[in-house]
Amino acid sequence: MKADTSKKRKVWSPYHLPFLVRHLAAGSRYDGIFLLLIVSSIVATVAVFVIRDLQASNMEAQIMYTGAVRGLQRIGELQYDTQETRRATLYALTTSDSNLQVEYADQSRAADLRVRNGIAEYALQANIASKVKLASRLNLDWTHYLHIRDEVLASILEGSTREAVSLDLTGGVPAFERVRQDLNEVKRLYEQDAAERLNNLVASSHRSMWRLLAILIFTFLLSLAAVWVIQRGRMLSTIHLAKLQMEFVASVSHELRTPLAVLSSASDNLADGLIHEESALRRYGAVLQHQSRKMTALVDQILLFASTEDRRNRYILHPVDVAQVLDSVLESTAELTKKDGFIIDRDIQPGLPLVSGDPLGISQCLQNLISNAVKYSGDERRIAVRGTLERSDRGSDHEVQISVIDKGIGIDRSELTRIFEPFYRSPRVNGLQIYGTGLGLSLAKRIAESMGGRITVNSGLSTGSTFVLHLLTAKEEGQSTASEGVQHARQ
Amino acid sequence: MRLLTAIITALTLATALDSDFAFAPPASGSVLSSADRSATSEPLAIVVNQSNPTDNLSLAELRRVLLGGRNYWSNGRRITVVMRDPDDLERKVILREVCGMTEEQLKNHILRGLFTGEILVSPKILSSPAGVRKFVFNVPGGIGYLRLSDVDSSVKILRIDQLLPEDKGYKLRIRSQAAD
Repeated sequence: MKADTSKKRKVWSPYHLPFLVRHLAAGSRYDGIFLLLIVSSIVATVAVFVIRDLQASNMEAQIMYTGAVRGLQRIGELQYDTQETRRATLYALTTSDSNLQVEYADQSRAADLRVRNGIAEYALQANIASKVKLASRLNLDWTHYLHIRDEVLASILEGSTREAVSLDLTGGVPAFERVRQDLNEVKRLYEQDAAERLNNLVASSHRSMWRLLAILIFTFLLSLAAVWVIQRGRMLSTIHLAKLQMEFVASVSHELRTPLAVLSSASDNLADGLIHEESALRRYGAVLQHQSRKMTALVDQILLFASTEDRRNRYILHPVDVAQVLDSVLESTAELTKKDGFIIDRDIQPGLPLVSGDPLGISQCLQNLISNAVKYSGDERRIAVRGTLERSDRGSDHEVQISVIDKGIGIDRSELTRIFEPFYRSPRVNGLQIYGTGLGLSLAKRIAESMGGRITVNSGLSTGSTFVLHLLTAKEEGQSTASEGVQHARQ
Repeated sequence: MRLLTAIITALTLATALDSDFAFAPPASGSVLSSADRSATSEPLAIVVNQSNPTDNLSLAELRRVLLGGRNYWSNGRRITVVMRDPDDLERKVILREVCGMTEEQLKNHILRGLFTGEILVSPKILSSPAGVRKFVFNVPGGIGYLRLSDVDSSVKILRIDQLLPEDKGYKLRIRSQAAD
């Protein structure tokens, strides 16, 4: 029957992935806060990335828009000023007033200066061979036109209108037409350049869009995964708890069935009048007493565990002489240890200070630890109990440490963090047919924490285990903890 | 009325004929002597276009140029004279010191020159020194006159009888009396 049970345990299930289960259970315990924090961090990082990407795209669009507007404006100004140069020259033809003619000549020269500056600016900004060549050609054509313009102006000012018109028609018009064509070419190249930049911008915008989409999908999937992990963790945790409870029920049933069977058998024999001798009656009475006490102890432990479920401090703390409590515990467990042939090495450092705690709580803790040592000592029948004053690593200066040391089967490293979980039973222990409720260590830990102390363990497979009960010294914590205890008592 | 008109015409012609004499160099008494130059007098520069190869003119040549006796520069450019308004002080100095004419005589001389074809282009009239300067700057064959203080690098100053306006002995000056 037990072999069947061990076979069944080898069947794979998610529960048998201790690492995953443990971490998922942890995620469940903290309501996935940790996972949500990670997801939030990733989403925030991604958001920063997206915002930066969008800002870069916007900046690029802004630069392009500003550049386009500015470029078109400059080309427009250049075209206007070339026209203005010619227009002012021709205006001089319309009057015979030399003062006006000089004024028009002035206007033409002012416009001509602006055109020269514009061409120089264009030449400076020319970044490709075709633009450089065009700038050079434009400069040449404009210089040629200006040469003719100067001749035309001179003729006008001299009063030779006919000669001026003739000069303009034969030389000025074709020269200006070449300048106009050059400017059209400038505009065409600019539009071509702008179109390329626009294409680049569109491509960049598409890239940004796809990147954004990918990021959103990634974030969505990540969120889904996080939710799945949280839900999975909760589910596994629930399954784990249910399994532990089932094992607990089985274990309790087994623990109860043995004394019940003895009680039933003994009571049947007594009822049937099969026992007449006084010595036999006494032996039966002792058996009945022992088994009923065992059942009572078991029920008490279960009730005690249930009462500490809310983890509230249920003890009124006051200074306690830990040596006295330990002696009392050793006395009460003497029957258990002597029956199985255990030798208890008691080694209490003389002059230990009082600790802050509850005698009953400390007693329950130590009883559980000693019972545990007895249960898992294997063939080695020696248990050491040591009490020492040590420097605390938790803020207060000193603490009393009571160590229960056995040389038994030990605990696997992977199980060290789990042995304090309620109802937890190591598969190895079950395999060794060592029965228990899985509540002893959990209960001891809760009681210790209720008194402001803690329990630590150091163990290795087949080398034995050392459980240490850490208790605060009363000198430092007595008053405050006592008042805290009173408050808890009032609650 | 007709008689009166005939008399005026006769007088005008007589004046014009008299002006022929004005082509002769001006009387030595009319040229400003160094003693006449007051501290307040300002030289009058004869300016031409920067491209003009001519650097120096004698006073007689200048007279010929201004009065249309010479129509082309040595580089073949047609000479275009630019003058100020008739009431202008500089013009009066030029008429008196270079042309040796009155305003009326100059007017008649130009009319006759245009009529006979001796003068190709009548002088251009500009109302400001800046206008004169810009005109000369724009017209390669242009020639005009400016106070020295109105001259800038856009035009070229001609030497007259090998003298620049700043030089001692330079004859074309606006005296303070001339303004009276």
